[in-house]
Amino acid sequence: MARKPQFGPGTSIVAENRRRQMDPSRRLPIVRNVTEEDIVLLLGHRAPGSAYPSAHPPLAEQQEPDCPMRKLVSPTEGAKAGDRVRYIQFADSMFNAPCQPYQRTYVEMYRFRGIDPGTLSGRQIVECRERDLEKYSKELIETDLFDPARSGLRGATVHGHSLRLSEDGMMFDALQRCILDRDGIVKYVKDQVGVPLDRPVSVGKPMVEDWLKRKSTIFHSLVGTPLRNDPEYIEYLQRIHSLRTKYGFMPMEG
Amino acid sequence: MTDVLEFPQCRIVPMRLLGADTTRRLLDRLATIHGVRRILLNGQNLPSTVPYGPSRGLATVHPQRKKIRVLGTEVDLRVQVGSLVLEVEDRSVIDEVRSLCGDFFTDFSCSVQEGRFMKTRPSLSDYARYGPLPDPAMIGLSDPKQKEDPVFLTEPTGCRGDL
Repeated sequence: MARKPQFGPGTSIVAENRRRQMDPSRRLPIVRNVTEEDIVLLLGHRAPGSAYPSAHPPLAEQQEPDCPMRKLVSPTEGAKAGDRVRYIQFADSMFNAPCQPYQRTYVEMYRFRGIDPGTLSGRQIVECRERDLEKYSKELIETDLFDPARSGLRGATVHGHSLRLSEDGMMFDALQRCILDRDGIVKYVKDQVGVPLDRPVSVGKPMVEDWLKRKSTIFHSLVGTPLRNDPEYIEYLQRIHSLRTKYGFMPMEG
Repeated sequence: MTDVLEFPQCRIVPMRLLGADTTRRLLDRLATIHGVRRILLNGQNLPSTVPYGPSRGLATVHPQRKKIRVLGTEVDLRVQVGSLVLEVEDRSVIDEVRSLCGDFFTDFSCSVQEGRFMKTRPSLSDYARYGPLPDPAMIGLSDPKQKEDPVFLTEPTGCRGDL
């Protein structure tokens, strides 16, 4: 019998959103358009239009060792060209940001190839070859995994995910990389590490509160869906907690 | 141990981090309440330069980090204010503060808590900085390592409000 992945437990909207984002057979809806040049500006790894610096010669020009694994796994475009490994990092507010660090890693592992994600409580970084990164970044920013106000591109000085929002609804950023302009559109005036950009990069309007609540992947008892409202999720968490505790104490019972 | 007169304290906690202009308007109103002795602004630090990463040392031009004028006195705002701690003459002033906050915060909620939020007795660090007889007005206002003194407001009620 063919195995059908479940992606995660739960009956709440948060659980459903988590499964929807993780499932690679379901397309993530595109809710904004950001040009490739803008993505390159936001990442700040190379000047727009410049050639990709390389870390090694293209694979086609190299003598590849006779390895069965290399025959089995086809290289990504970036690996084929010998691109450098570069990164994008996100910070996601606990106030109903559409994606969260652990969730991002799950989503990326299911959907992307040739990546190395790093997950922390308030930020999530993903490293991969440069031209793959630009492709993945576009998807991460244009789809409903991103909200201009509650998610932030932050390569360094990421503090803000667990704080109250600013008066205008934006997540706190000590470097003020993006601003909510008078026309209601969020514009990045610095790249992800805080270097000022030559021109602002628009990433669209912040989503409304109701949309965020419907698309959120974090349980929040004050502004969103409380975990207590999802008994199936609690049962799963208690099972994992119990198994881990027993295994650490007495492995034969685990 | 220095004898210290202890006054009631309260803390204003808005549901959103306040911008510089809102902070100025709120301080303008709080400082005019008769019986407010001292005000301490708490919040997230806004560094003047990028502290970490590849752009370390670059100036961070943050719109919320600026000088504001409160009752005609200039205050250098270096935090995005998240809460304000007030020391007041007596408990009736706290009710006045609560009423002011109810009128002031219309777009989002705010809570006014009573308790002890500010240091009232000198610590070892205060002893190291100010010596055996510190000015009671300075205790609890700021980090003893901070090189700048608090701001003193002198008008209009006659009672001193320190920021």
